[in-house]
Amino acid sequence: MYLIKNGTVHIGDGTILEHCDILTEGNQIQAIGSELSAEGAVILDASGCEVFPGFIDPVSSIGAMGIPGRFFDNNETSDPVTPEMNLKYSMDPDEVNAQEFYKSGITTIGLSPTHNNLMGGQIAVCKTAPQKMARRLVKEGAALKCSVTSDVKQTYGSNSRLPMTKMGTFFLLQESLRKARSTPAEQRDEKQKVICSVFDDCKMPVFAAASSKNEIDGLLHLMQKEKVELTLVDGLAFADSLEQILEQKVGLILGNVNNMSQIAKHNMDLTKLQDLVANGNKVAFTNSCGGWSEGREVFLWSAIEAYRAGVAAEDVVKMLCLFPAQMLGLQDRLGTLEVGKDADLSIFCGHPVKTYAAKVVHSMINGEVLF
Amino acid sequence: MNKILIKGGMLHTMQEPLFCGDVLVDDGKIAAVGPSLEAKDAQIIDASGLHVLPGLIDAHSHIGLFDFNHDKSVDDANEMTDPVSAAMDARYGMNPKARELQVAYEHGITSMLFTPGSGDVFCGQPFVAKTYGDNIFDMTVKAPAAVKIALGGNPKNTFGALKRMPMTRMGVAHVLWDTFRRAKTYLENQEQNIPQDYDPQLEAILPALRGEVPCKIHCTQYDMLTAIEVAKAFGVRFSLEHAWGASDYLEELVDSGCDICYGPIATYRAPGERRRVDVEAVKLLDERGVNVALVTDSPILSEESLYHHMGEAVREGADPERVLRMVTINPALQLGLEQRLGSLAPGRDADIILVKGFLGLDTDAKVQLTMVDGRIVYQL
Repeated sequence: MYLIKNGTVHIGDGTILEHCDILTEGNQIQAIGSELSAEGAVILDASGCEVFPGFIDPVSSIGAMGIPGRFFDNNETSDPVTPEMNLKYSMDPDEVNAQEFYKSGITTIGLSPTHNNLMGGQIAVCKTAPQKMARRLVKEGAALKCSVTSDVKQTYGSNSRLPMTKMGTFFLLQESLRKARSTPAEQRDEKQKVICSVFDDCKMPVFAAASSKNEIDGLLHLMQKEKVELTLVDGLAFADSLEQILEQKVGLILGNVNNMSQIAKHNMDLTKLQDLVANGNKVAFTNSCGGWSEGREVFLWSAIEAYRAGVAAEDVVKMLCLFPAQMLGLQDRLGTLEVGKDADLSIFCGHPVKTYAAKVVHSMINGEVLF
Repeated sequence: MNKILIKGGMLHTMQEPLFCGDVLVDDGKIAAVGPSLEAKDAQIIDASGLHVLPGLIDAHSHIGLFDFNHDKSVDDANEMTDPVSAAMDARYGMNPKARELQVAYEHGITSMLFTPGSGDVFCGQPFVAKTYGDNIFDMTVKAPAAVKIALGGNPKNTFGALKRMPMTRMGVAHVLWDTFRRAKTYLENQEQNIPQDYDPQLEAILPALRGEVPCKIHCTQYDMLTAIEVAKAFGVRFSLEHAWGASDYLEELVDSGCDICYGPIATYRAPGERRRVDVEAVKLLDERGVNVALVTDSPILSEESLYHHMGEAVREGADPERVLRMVTINPALQLGLEQRLGSLAPGRDADIILVKGFLGLDTDAKVQLTMVDGRIVYQL
């Protein structure tokens, strides 16, 4: 049992409570309010500190890359359509531990396939501690990871396999859906069962990587009549397709925008994030970009870029907490500080969106203080 | 060129403590810096409430050499046909129209060192240039500006794949020792007018042996010890580039008298060269008197991430004012360009930026105006 005293508490949905206490018991939040007390609770003084729900990276490559990035257990490129792959089996806790994610406030990551397959597999969500896997895994099959980026055509086209072009990529997407749907339920293979459960029964949302304008436009065109919830991953040229994104209200996960000239290359206008916020589109950030990662720091850097582009600090906080939890269908457990939710907390000595001097002073996962 | 008088800014001159004052620019150079300057017929820029700094310097970039602006990336940074490719001149691989340059000067970065990559042991000749301009040869401040050397995984993987020396770290060390020895003999022969065949690769190493330019040595973790041993043996000035894991070798680094170009900071942690990425080393080294610069390795990490690099150093406890030095006067000193770049003082190039907020501390600090050689190239 822990009692976090007198912090500036960011609920995660944009609300701020000053001089607020949080009581945790077991792995859950027990109470939030002022002047709380509890016998036997370990006191953590958070005076002058900013308390946040643990941040969530919904599409992390780290954790399944296979240290030191040689084995790529997130990259089953034996076939461009592998929706049945479950990232749970690629999760390497030591790879996650080595990153010290807590130093960037991150307590949950969604392990994701690379962008090389049209349908790469199912995202598995895990905490960044403790070591015991049963307590680390939050949810498997949290989202189906798809991709229409040029990574797909480069992966298969070089072996003279479909898809070799973007036409091929989009053809394969349409054809995979048509074929699965037109196959009688009892005759569907494993891949087709997953496709139908996702696109017809909406058993899990779709996270689809699309970076350039024609990739985003093509994907949104194709998904217009689909009812499954869609989130764009690495939608770097989002500002060029703003109208469609606003209209279809799809989510957007921005990968490391400070990576490999993304801002210059895509002529990125991050100020357009304000339009997404006003329209109610969900936005989140990830340490990964292009199915690869430059490390945990870039997660906060992308958040800072959003703030620099005029998004209000507490709207950015939502993008670190509430929105990624909703994208992964985990809003009942994660993303906000509320009674009954998981006791995952990141306590900074400043506001990490506003000042670089903000450093994590305490990190809690499942009600256990790990730092 | 017209005179420009920047009035009433908070001046970070990199020479004296922060004070409120004016900077007079005349004919592309800084003419005067002081608490209250007057100048007839000068264009006045009101800098009240703004920080005034020398243009920022990124001392390790590959912009224009690696080009990621298209689906197929371009590599003109690595001439990986021979581990000793010292004569390769980065100016001829550089695309001066690279879009990142605009991002750079809009973020207040007015000079950069553009360097060949790290695919060879002797990778080629870096140069220093302004980020604004049309022709890379006109933009150039100094060429060659260093001898670029690389240790570790990059050269050994390049040539190991071809079953050529160096396949291992032992092999890299051998190439390093052997090449420097031959270059030293070559220099001695030259000085004593002993006839010898012209060797373009060894020629390119002579400026370092003569102390005219430093060696910039790509290395991390325990490769630093190899770099120090060889550099000391041949008496060259040197900086260690990237330098992940520097806090494990603090004493050795301080004793060696080397400079450090730390960065890029973000990389996933993994055994080997990425084992330890210790931003806190920046503070520790600075406190021990080592000249530390922060570098982005752009476009690997993009140019604008220089702010985030500064910020991570601040997050790990470095003083924000010291961190400003790491992107201004420190790299200028490393490159022997302190008479032209990196500070606000009479005679320096008028590369000046006006910033709202404190760079490296306030995440929303923004450049309001960038001046390169006395010319306003960007204004918010």
